[in-house]
Amino acid sequence: MLGISCDSVEENRAFAEKFGFEFPLLCDTTRATSIAYKALDHAEESYPRRFTYVISPEGRIETAIDTQDPAAQAGELLKRL
Amino acid sequence: MKLLKHIFGELFRKGRRPMLRAGETAPDFDLLDHLGRRVRLGELRGRRVVLWFYPKADTPG
Repeated sequence: MLGISCDSVEENRAFAEKFGFEFPLLCDTTRATSIAYKALDHAEESYPRRFTYVISPEGRIETAIDTQDPAAQAGELLKRL
Repeated sequence: MKLLKHIFGELFRKGRRPMLRAGETAPDFDLLDHLGRRVRLGELRGRRVVLWFYPKADTPG
């Protein structure tokens, strides 16, 4: 499990500490990865969308989930794993 | 006509945005995590990875 946003290392560290996340939060400060995964349309867009991807051990997209509702996103994911 | 309507309906369904599709190669990345550690997708081969995009640190979800 990897979280990812366009926040800085410091912002994500504070976020992880506050909620006690035990998985890495990636810092896509150049926004290139968010664009590659279509969570952002372009670098000037303010925030990435709440997309979740499951990537297979072979490096292919297995599942793609788009939802604005964090609880639903978690539920959808559990259903599909 | 019915088919076209269906296709456009799907395309413009509220909230539906284009995503990468199942079967596509996951784009590689080489990023720092919140502890400053380097994480590369290529190094995670052989493991299933869940990649969770969120808009902003410290917002609900």
